[in-house]
Amino acid sequence: MAFRNKSNSPHDTNKFLARAKKSDRLAAWLINIGGLLVVVSVIGILLLILKVAIPLFLSPEATHLSTVSIKGSTVATRTLAIGTDENLKTGFSIDDQGKVTLFDSRTGAVSDTISLAAPGGTTPGIAAVTPAPDRHYDILWKDGSFSAIKITFDADGGQQAAEAPPAKVETLLAEQKGGAASVPLMSLARFSEENSPSRLDFLPGNRFLFSKKTTTTDLMGNDTTTQIRTPFAADIQGNITALALDSKAEFLYAGTDTGRLLRWNLSDAEAPQLLDSVLTNSKGSAVTALNLVFGDVSIAVSNADGSFSTWFPASETGLGSSKTLTRIHPLAGHGSAITAILPSPRNKTLYSLDKNGTINVDHMTSERHLLSLQTEKPLVLFAVAPRDNGLIALDADNRITMWQISNPHPEISFKTLFAPVWYENYDKPEFVWQSSSANDDFEPKLSLTPLIFGTLKGTLYAMLFAVPLALLGAIYTSQFMGPRIKNFVKPAIEIMAAIPSVVIGFLAGLWLAPLMDKGIVSVFVSVLIIPLFVFISILLWKKFQNKPLLKGISVGYEFLLLIPALLLGIYASHALGGMLETTLFAGDFKLWLFDSFGSRYDQRNSIIIAFALGLAVIPLIFTMADDALANVPKNLSAASLAIGASRWQTAWRIVLPSALPGIFSAVMIGFGRAIGETMIVLMATGNTPILNWSIFNGFRSLSANIAVEIPEAPVFGSLYRVLFLSAVLLFIFTFIINTVAEILRQNFRKKYGRF
Amino acid sequence: MGNFWKQGEPQVWATAATLSITLLMIATLIGVVMVNGLGFFWPSDTALVSLKDGSKLLGEITDTEKQTATHGARLQLKIGNRDLYGQDFRWIDKGDVASITYPDDAIVLERKEHGNFYGFLKSLSLNIPQSASAATPWQQMLAARENVIQAQRNLGDLRDKMSKLNAAAESLRLKILKLSFDNAPANRDTIQRLSQQREQSLAEFNLLLDDLNTKNGELNRNTATFQDVSGEEKEIALTDIVHAYRPNTMGVFAKAAFYAGKIKELLLEEPRESNTEGGLFPAIFGTVMMVLLMSIFSLPFGVIAAIYLREYAKEGMLVRLVRIAVNNLAGVPSIVYGVFGLGFFVYGIGSGIDQLFYPERLPTPTFGTGGILWASLTLALLTVPVVIVSTEEGLASVPKGLRQGSLSLGATKFQTLMKIVLPMATPGIMTGLILAMARAAGEVAPLMLVGVVKLAPSLPIDGQFPFFHMDRKFMHLGFHIYDVGFQSPNVEAAKPMVFVTTLLLLAIVIVASSSAIHLRNRMKKKYSTKAF
Repeated sequence: MAFRNKSNSPHDTNKFLARAKKSDRLAAWLINIGGLLVVVSVIGILLLILKVAIPLFLSPEATHLSTVSIKGSTVATRTLAIGTDENLKTGFSIDDQGKVTLFDSRTGAVSDTISLAAPGGTTPGIAAVTPAPDRHYDILWKDGSFSAIKITFDADGGQQAAEAPPAKVETLLAEQKGGAASVPLMSLARFSEENSPSRLDFLPGNRFLFSKKTTTTDLMGNDTTTQIRTPFAADIQGNITALALDSKAEFLYAGTDTGRLLRWNLSDAEAPQLLDSVLTNSKGSAVTALNLVFGDVSIAVSNADGSFSTWFPASETGLGSSKTLTRIHPLAGHGSAITAILPSPRNKTLYSLDKNGTINVDHMTSERHLLSLQTEKPLVLFAVAPRDNGLIALDADNRITMWQISNPHPEISFKTLFAPVWYENYDKPEFVWQSSSANDDFEPKLSLTPLIFGTLKGTLYAMLFAVPLALLGAIYTSQFMGPRIKNFVKPAIEIMAAIPSVVIGFLAGLWLAPLMDKGIVSVFVSVLIIPLFVFISILLWKKFQNKPLLKGISVGYEFLLLIPALLLGIYASHALGGMLETTLFAGDFKLWLFDSFGSRYDQRNSIIIAFALGLAVIPLIFTMADDALANVPKNLSAASLAIGASRWQTAWRIVLPSALPGIFSAVMIGFGRAIGETMIVLMATGNTPILNWSIFNGFRSLSANIAVEIPEAPVFGSLYRVLFLSAVLLFIFTFIINTVAEILRQNFRKKYGRF
Repeated sequence: MGNFWKQGEPQVWATAATLSITLLMIATLIGVVMVNGLGFFWPSDTALVSLKDGSKLLGEITDTEKQTATHGARLQLKIGNRDLYGQDFRWIDKGDVASITYPDDAIVLERKEHGNFYGFLKSLSLNIPQSASAATPWQQMLAARENVIQAQRNLGDLRDKMSKLNAAAESLRLKILKLSFDNAPANRDTIQRLSQQREQSLAEFNLLLDDLNTKNGELNRNTATFQDVSGEEKEIALTDIVHAYRPNTMGVFAKAAFYAGKIKELLLEEPRESNTEGGLFPAIFGTVMMVLLMSIFSLPFGVIAAIYLREYAKEGMLVRLVRIAVNNLAGVPSIVYGVFGLGFFVYGIGSGIDQLFYPERLPTPTFGTGGILWASLTLALLTVPVVIVSTEEGLASVPKGLRQGSLSLGATKFQTLMKIVLPMATPGIMTGLILAMARAAGEVAPLMLVGVVKLAPSLPIDGQFPFFHMDRKFMHLGFHIYDVGFQSPNVEAAKPMVFVTTLLLLAIVIVASSSAIHLRNRMKKKYSTKAF
C-alpha cells in the first residue's frame, strides 16, 4: 500500500525506503524469535512439569524457631514431658511436682500454670509420665495412683492465635492404687471404646496387670460397671526394657535387655495370649525403645547398638500360614542407643532421639533418612507437634528448642517409585499402585513400575499387530499398486490418521470387546485361517492367471482381489471358532482357560488393545514408511528392473534397504505415539495396575493413569506430583524416541537430497 | 512354478493382503459407526410379542442373536418404560414366542425423564380448551400437547426476565464482594445500597419464580393416561412428552420426516437424561468455540515458525534443533500437554490472575480452574506442529524464481514474503489450519484436565456482560463420547446416543481432513515442476 502513496520527491522515496528497511528488520527479528520459540516451548514444557515433580525428592526443611529457657522455672523440678499447641505458639511442660507450665514459645514467658493432683487429692509427686498420641499423658504418681490426662488448646485449628491460647487439662481416668498390688513401674491407659477404658500396669519382675472397665447402661438408665483384672507374666529371661501398647489396647509389645521382642494379644481381656517372641538382632543387643507407627500396624524397634528398624507380623509362606513378627524396614541407625521413638500423627514418619541428644527423622516405608537435628547441648526430651509440622525438644540445660518442619513428601523415594516395597499387611515386597482408599490411615502406594510395565505391554502388543500390517501395506502401496487407485488409497489412510482416538477407544471398548468376548476362539482361529485363505487364493491365481479373461488385470490391483478371500476367511473363522469352542473347550473357552491355567479372562484385555491401539498407529507408520519408500530415487529401481529383476526383487533388495532409515524412523514414531496414547487405553482396558504379560488381562498405562487420577489428586500433594513425574517420564521416553527418529530422517533426507 | 515363487509374486500378494486387512478394518470401523449412528433415529415398528406362557411384551426389536449352545436364536427387545420395569431391554428366546404382531394403536412416547414409553392411550385429562377438529383421542392428545407446549413456550419471556434478574443479582453480589474486600468500612454505604438492590432483584426473582411455578403447575395438570401392554396404567403430563408417535401407522415419508426432525433436534437442542438423550448443541458449540479460539493462538505461531524454518534460517545446527523441537512437539503424548496445561496455565497463570484481579472471590477460583481459554491454549501448543509442517510444505511449493524476481526488483525480504510468497502459500496454511482444527476437535485426553465438563451450566458466549466468558467450562463432543459411553450408569441405553455423537464427530473430522488433503494435493500439483 506504500506504493500507492508514492511521490516523486527523493526525500519521500528515501523515507519510504527507510521505512521498508525498518519493517524488514523488525520482521526478521520477530520471525527469528518465533522460530526459536518452538525450541523454547519444548524445553519450557519439560522444565515446567519437572518443576512440579522435583519437590518430591527434596529433603524436608526444619526451620529453627526459637531456643528459650522457661522463665521462673526452678532448678529443683525435673521436666518429664513437653508439648506444643497446633500453631507452635504455646509450649507446655509437665514437671515431677505435677505442675503444667504454659509458656510463649518465642520468649519463654510463662503464661499460665496448672497444678495437677493425684486421684486422692494429694500431690505426692510424679513417678513417670508416658506420652501417647493426641497430647494424652499417662501419669503414674509416686504413691501408686494413676491418672490419664489430655491437654487441649482452645485455639487449636483456629487462626486467632495472636495471644497465647489458654489450655485446659482434661482428666480421662483417675484411679487410686488398688489393694496390695505393688507399685507399678509404668502404667498405660487406652480409650478406644466409649465408657470402657483399658489400663495396663507393668509391675516389677516382668509382670503385668491388664484391667478393663466396661460400663453398660440398661433400659432403666442404670449404669452397671464390670471390671476385669487379669494379671499375667512374661516368662522370659532378662528384663523388659521397653513397652508399647496400641491405641485399641489390642496388642502389647515388649522389648527385653536380651534383644527379644514380644507381642501379646489382649483383645480377650481375660486371657492375654503371647503371640510372638523373636530376637531382634543376632548379637542380643538390648531393646531400648519401642513405639507403634501411625496406623498401629508396625512397631518401631531400636537396640542398644543404635540400630533402628520397623517390624510387623507377616507370613513367610503366603496365605493361610500363621504370621510372625518380621523385620521389615531397616532404618538409618544412630551412633548411640535410641532413648525415645515418637510416631508422626499424620503419616509413617518416625522421630527418634538418641543418648547423644540427636533427633533423627526417618520415614518407615521409603526408608529415607530425612533429617538430623541437634542443639549445642544434648537433647533429652522431645515431642512432635499435633499437626506434624514441628518439634519441641528439651536439652540438658533445661532450655526448650522449637523447630518448624515442612515434610510434604516423606513417603516418596526412587525406591518406593520403582523398586518393590514391603507395605504393611503384605507378605512380601511388591510393586503396588493404589493411590486412595476409603479409610483415613491408608498409606498411598505409588509404585510407577506396574504403570511403566502396562505402558510397555500395551505398546508392544499394539506394535506386534501394527508394524507388519503398516510396513507391508506401505511396501505394496508404494511399489506395486496401480497409480490410479493409489490416489484413492493413500488419502484414505491419511484421513484414517485423523480419526480421533476417542472414537477408536469407544468402538474397542463397547463394540469390539463384547463381540470378542463371545468369539475369542474365532479370533485365534482367524490367525491361521486368514493366511491360509490368502495362500489358497494365491495358488488359485497362479493356476488361472494366464486365462485370457484374467490376464493382466491383477497387476496393481491384487489387494482388491484378495478382499473376498479375506471376507470368506473371516466368515470361516467365525463358524469354525464356534464349533471348536463347543468341541475343544466344552462350550466355554473362558471357563476352560480359568480351569486349566487359572488365568482370568477380562472382557477388556490386551488383545482388544492390540487391535485398537494398532489401528491408531497403522496410518502413522504407513504414511511415513510410504513417504520413505517413495523418496528412494526412481533411477535405482528403474535400473534394477532394467537388468531383469522382478518387481518383488527390486522392492525387497533395492528399494527397501535404501529406505530402511526412514522406515525405522516411521516405526519409532509409531512407537512413541502408542506409548502416549491415552483415550484408547483408558476406554478399552480395565485400567487395573497389574504386572503380568497375559493377553487376556488388561493393564494400566502411565498416560491413562494420569487421566484417571489427576482430577482426584489434591493440588501439590504427593499423588499430584507423582503424576507430574509420570508425565515427565512419558515426555522423556517420547523425546528420546522422536529425537532419534528425526535425526535418522534428517540424515535419510540429506542422503537423497529430497524432502 | 519355481519361477513364480522365485520372482516373489506370492510375497507381493502377501503385502497386498496386509493392505486389504488394513482397508477392511477402516471400512469396518466407519461402517459400524454409520450403521449404528444413522439407524438410531429411524422410528422402527413397535412389535407386540405374545409369548407361549401367555404374557405379552411391547417394544422395538433391536437385535437378534444366534445361540451356539442351544441352536436357537434370541431377540433383544427394547421395552422402555424404565419407571415401571426398571430395565429398558429384555432378551427373549425365539422358541418362547407365540406370535409377533404390529398393532396400529401402539404408541411410543419420548419423555423428558425415564426414557421411552411403549403402550396404548387410554384417556385424557385436560384443563385447556380442546380442539374441535380432533376426532380421535389420539388426535386430541396430539393437539392438546401442541397447545401445552405452545403455552409453555410463551412463558419464555418470564424465564428471560428471571435469568436477567438472576444475572443482575450475581453481578451485584460480586461487586459487593469486591467492595467489602477492598475496604469494607469506607464503602459501607455503597455496600448497603447494593445489598438492598440485590435483595430487591432477588425478591422480584422469587415473585416471578412463584408465578412461573404456578403456571407450569397448571400446564402440568394436563395429563394423559396410558396403559402398558400388561394393562398397568401410567399418567403422564403432556409437558413431559417430547415426541409422541405411532410408528406402525407411519409410512416411509412420515418416518423420514420424523427422522429429519430428530436430526434437527440433535443439532440444536440441549441434552436430556444426563446426556443420554436429546441434543448435542452445547457440545457442538463448545467444540467449535474451543477450536476457533485455539486457531487464533496456534495459527500465527505456527506460520511464523514455518517462515523462520523455510525463509529466514540458515541451514545448520540451529535449524536442525528447531526441527527436532517441532517433531517433539508433534510427538509428545497429548496427555503430557494436559498435565502441562494444568500445572502451568490453570494453577500457574490462572491462580496468578485470580490473586491479582479477583482476590475477593478466593478461594472460589475464577481463572484458577479449568476453562475454555486454558483448554484452547493447551491445544494450540499441541497443534502448532501440524500448522508448521503444512505451512512449510506450502512455502516450499512456491517456485524460487518468484522470490528471486521480487527481490531483484528491489523489494525487501519481508515485502517479498508478504506480497508474493505468503499469498501463494495460502493453500498450505489453510491445510495446516484445517488439519489442526480436526486434530483439536478429536483430542480428548488433555481437555479432561483443563476444562471440559460433563454438563456445562452455561455456554461460553451468552447475552451477559462481557458476553464472552473465557473462564467458563465447556462441553466437547469427544469427551461426550467418553463420558456417556463409559461413565453413565445405564451404558446399554446410552449406547445409541454415543454412536450418534461418534458419527457426528467422525463426520466432522473426516470432512475436515479430506478437504485439507484435497487442498494440499491440488497445491502440490499446481506448483510442481514436472521433472524427472
